[in-house]
Amino acid sequence: MGLYPAIDVSPVRQSDSPVPETTLTEPELERLRLKLRYKVLYHVGHNCADVDDLVQETLARFIRAGQNHQIRNTMELGAFLNGVCRNVILEYRRRMRREPPIDPEACQPETAIRPDAEHFEIRQAIDHGLAELADRDRAVLRALYLDGKDKDAICAEWNMTDAQFRVVLFRAKERFRRAYNLKPDK
Amino acid sequence: MNCGMEPIQREQIIARYLSRSLDSDAVEEFEGHYLGCDECFEELRVSERIAADLRASNLAWRQNEGVSVLQFRNNAELTHSARELDELRREVLEQSDSRVIIDLGRVTKIDSAGLGQLMSCYTHLVRNQGALKVVNASAEVKKVLDMTGISTLIPSFADESEAVRSFEN
Repeated sequence: MGLYPAIDVSPVRQSDSPVPETTLTEPELERLRLKLRYKVLYHVGHNCADVDDLVQETLARFIRAGQNHQIRNTMELGAFLNGVCRNVILEYRRRMRREPPIDPEACQPETAIRPDAEHFEIRQAIDHGLAELADRDRAVLRALYLDGKDKDAICAEWNMTDAQFRVVLFRAKERFRRAYNLKPDK
Repeated sequence: MNCGMEPIQREQIIARYLSRSLDSDAVEEFEGHYLGCDECFEELRVSERIAADLRASNLAWRQNEGVSVLQFRNNAELTHSARELDELRREVLEQSDSRVIIDLGRVTKIDSAGLGQLMSCYTHLVRNQGALKVVNASAEVKKVLDMTGISTLIPSFADESEAVRSFEN
């Protein structure tokens, strides 16, 4: 783990803890579920009908591993959970190759439709956020997030210092964060 | 909670993760990290929305006599490598109105990926008791729609008001 510092999220209690092991609280569990859902969607795509099953299976295995004292390093729970999730996704892919669904259309979930007002409000907030950005800021964000350019290339192209790049980036993130917080949709 | 990652470095990793240009080992490492780090996960979610909205900002909705019309603000290509492709489908799927017209006036090129997304939008709207029509397709785009038979399912109109009226039939 070169780039990332070790983090103790400790959703599973240490074995010498006086409280029973694997006592995940409801908010901790929901948080893990949200993160796992994100990872699973990233790998299997939004059209997969089995996303929630994969997340549930991952969580079940993770909790079982905790109960069976199989998590040795509680400082690296994210990595452990990631490994469990990767195995679940691999097994799912193997199963799909062996037994493809008879009617692939039949297992397509109907996409939840946002209520009119909510959709309009989010759209408005986003449009407002984008409109507030200067042309250069928008171009910098596009270069970073859509064109995959790195910071040095962007700074050279736009004749910016590191500090200016940092300001553009975090000002934009703050604006968008505020816009989404108005109507969190997840 | 502060995870201690340098913010600019983190943002570059996030940008590359979202554009799927990280190698598989780096993806594993980053996912292992954000599963255990609330701060990085939140940053990832905000950045993902920014990227999606930057792409979607080329698309705009308006209403014409109760029918939702989706149009491109600038020239766009509906091809496999185009940024707008996924966003077009996402916009239509998130739209609550099931009677939709897509204005293809600014679409300069379409390929099988673009046709696939149009069909995906069509399927979704029909399942929700709606319909999809397209207007202002260029000669080149119209030719592709006709050649593939898609225009028999998704009618193409030269005039928007004509397309709106066709929903009443």
